[in-house]
Amino acid sequence: MRDWLKQMMQPVQQVSSQGMSQVDAWFLQERHRFTITGLSRSGKSMLFTSLMTILKYRSEEKYNCLPLLESLPMELVDHMRIEPLPGYAMFPADAHLQALESGHWPAPTEQAYGFKLIVRLRQTGNIKKLLMPYTDVVFEFIDYPGEWITDMPMLGKSFSQWSDSAWAQQASEPQKHYSSAWHAFVEGFDFEQPPTREAVLEVVSEYRRYLQHAKAHGISMLQPGSFLIDGSGFDWRAEGFAPLPAKITSDISHPWYKAFAQHYAAFQDNWLTPLKESTFRETDKQIILVDLFEGLNHSRQHLYQLKETLSHLAETFVYGNPGWFARNVLRQRQIGRVAFVATKTDLIPESQKPALLSLLQQITEGAVAKFADKPIQFEHFLVSAMQTTDSGEHDNALRYTNPAGAYVEANFEPLPSTLKDMESDAHYPVLQAQVPKDHLPRMLNGRGLDRLFEFLLNQEA
Amino acid sequence: MSADTTQRYRSKVTERTINTVQPEADMPAKIDDSTWQPGTEKRSLSLGTTTLLLGGACAIGFGVVSAVEAVLGYFDSYPITATVLGSLLAGFVLCMLTLVGREAKGFMNVNKHLSRQLDYQALEQTSDKAALLASLKRHASSFSAHSYAARCYKTFTQALNSDVSAQEALALYQRTVVKPVDKRAQEVINKESMTAGSLTFISPNHLIQTLMIVWISFRTIRRVAQVYGLRPGTLGNWQLFKVLAQNIAAQSIFDLATDEVANQISGSLTARFMENSAEAVAAGALNVRLGKALMKLLR
Ligand SMILES: Nc1nc2c(ncn2[C@@H]2O[C@H](COP(=O)(O)OP(=O)(O)O)[C@@H](O)[C@H]2O)c(=O)[nH]1
Ligand SMILES: [Mg+2]
Repeated sequence: MRDWLKQMMQPVQQVSSQGMSQVDAWFLQERHRFTITGLSRSGKSMLFTSLMTILKYRSEEKYNCLPLLESLPMELVDHMRIEPLPGYAMFPADAHLQALESGHWPAPTEQAYGFKLIVRLRQTGNIKKLLMPYTDVVFEFIDYPGEWITDMPMLGKSFSQWSDSAWAQQASEPQKHYSSAWHAFVEGFDFEQPPTREAVLEVVSEYRRYLQHAKAHGISMLQPGSFLIDGSGFDWRAEGFAPLPAKITSDISHPWYKAFAQHYAAFQDNWLTPLKESTFRETDKQIILVDLFEGLNHSRQHLYQLKETLSHLAETFVYGNPGWFARNVLRQRQIGRVAFVATKTDLIPESQKPALLSLLQQITEGAVAKFADKPIQFEHFLVSAMQTTDSGEHDNALRYTNPAGAYVEANFEPLPSTLKDMESDAHYPVLQAQVPKDHLPRMLNGRGLDRLFEFLLNQEA
Repeated sequence: MSADTTQRYRSKVTERTINTVQPEADMPAKIDDSTWQPGTEKRSLSLGTTTLLLGGACAIGFGVVSAVEAVLGYFDSYPITATVLGSLLAGFVLCMLTLVGREAKGFMNVNKHLSRQLDYQALEQTSDKAALLASLKRHASSFSAHSYAARCYKTFTQALNSDVSAQEALALYQRTVVKPVDKRAQEVINKESMTAGSLTFISPNHLIQTLMIVWISFRTIRRVAQVYGLRPGTLGNWQLFKVLAQNIAAQSIFDLATDEVANQISGSLTARFMENSAEAVAAGALNVRLGKALMKLLR
């Protein structure tokens, strides 16, 4: 199955070396640039892998998938191919497919990836056929770790502002369950010693441990998220910083304050600013992936802080990126489209999907409010990149293979359709579904991708 | 999931192991993209060929006769030529009548289903997916097994999944069944009307011309119905008959008129040519009219 990727790339490299003339590009291409964002583990890699695979099997082998994708009618698709996107590392689809074949989920990959997916459509009209024998629909996909984007608001804050708000967050629910070790460490640490390289590294490492611990327990509101991702272009070991208690940040002559403020400025200038400039370059379509199961798995408080994180994420699109916003939205070249997508929906029974959708709508309320008066269209979607589960005995049950290899029936009590309805002392453990052997048909049976891409591709307002 | 989460919170999901292995999922169905052919009966095809050959022979024969007539002036009877021509004409007319008879029988069969129309307006209001799919299924049960419509309907059902809502399913039905079937019917009508025009153009006299038109008309009805996949029935339908009769009447009046014009211009070759071309165009147009009326009824 993996060879098709190479096959698809070959002819392309020939064509692109000859170079398509600009005129051809104008007349024969229809370009869509998508940016897909989501916190890490939200399902970005699987979504891409699945989309590539489904489109391939649909266009080349005429499998009847993605029925609602009217904008790419099956009978008109001639072929599709994949090209690298200049300026980005190539999305490692090959490695991901290999992992699936050997029964593992794709390895976590933490850096920005891009690729182009080009679908060639035959022309139908007779006259058009003569003038323009085909149209290429070019998708440009860029996958950013959401952790980078949730750091963007740090650009507008000074070190002491950021430090104070971060410290306050750690002291409140649900973060405070995970921050006790870090707070105890700060209590016991001697801030009278000079901030040598070693001492700074000790503090920053401890802070990072807190970030990792909280993240492992479903907390998404974590800054700087860039410290968590090894592919980030910032060396937290050499120039790290951490929030400090107010007794230090209130004294701007304190050596530790000075050192951290300096590192914080370097973080802003050398990492966030260039990132902001390269992000959302020309994109007019945003896909924001949300993993609601992470929150449901833990507690209602977790869902609330996810809501806050998403609101920050959306803010970055609207205010954090004047370039994108002015170019695409204000000039009305095209209406901006934002899709909020809840992933891995195969992990709940069909009957619970309406509740999940309504939960998604509520959790993205804050984000949506950010573009209330802007010419941005948004919609909510439920998607599964792979249908790992089967229907169960009842409407509220489903079946899956657990990590121990047993085939298990899981019975769900009804999901809450609002945050308020989620009982504060209850949770919905996320099913640890494994990659099934028959992952190919299960990918082709994935749900919701057609509706999502139809919304993003459809030119009508 | 961590130990402290399990302690603090009550789980709303309960699990039990079932003693089977996970069933294998099937690949989605493939789209059948072989070209669809209407079921053809061998015999009628060879009969059709015979007819065409005879028709061609007639045209040539008549051409020869008029040439001979022109050369020989006022001689009025040549018994051998007359016999040959007479039998050719008789054979042709006989075959033609048989064909018309057959098509007429097929036409009768079509009519039973004309009353079975889907109420799209009602369907557009519903959000009950099961009911919607049931009424589409009931409608589709009248498609005969190998019709184009049946094939489109099969593709439609294969594309459906639990995720598709009622209105999305209806839109999908419109896009994958109604639209392609209409398009195919339109293609059939265009082709048949071209044939109608061509046959009118070459037909040497009004009798043959009228027979041809009747035949083509019935054939159009049958072929269009075949696209829609309607099973045989026995009742007649007056709406279509009306259109058919109107068409034939219109064609005859048109014939008379063009004859008159041709007489006025004096019976030169160009006049004859012009008369036939005009009739051919009219025959084509009238056949399109018939097809459209039928499509409206069948949809
Ligand atoms: N059941 C199920 N699990 C999924 C699906 N997509 C992703 N996952 C799970 O979520 C994990 C993270 O997905 P991944 O695509 O690597 O996330 P990324 O970090 O955003 O690229 C995977 O390892 C899978 O366990 C899906 O469609 N269904
Ligand atoms: Mg990834």
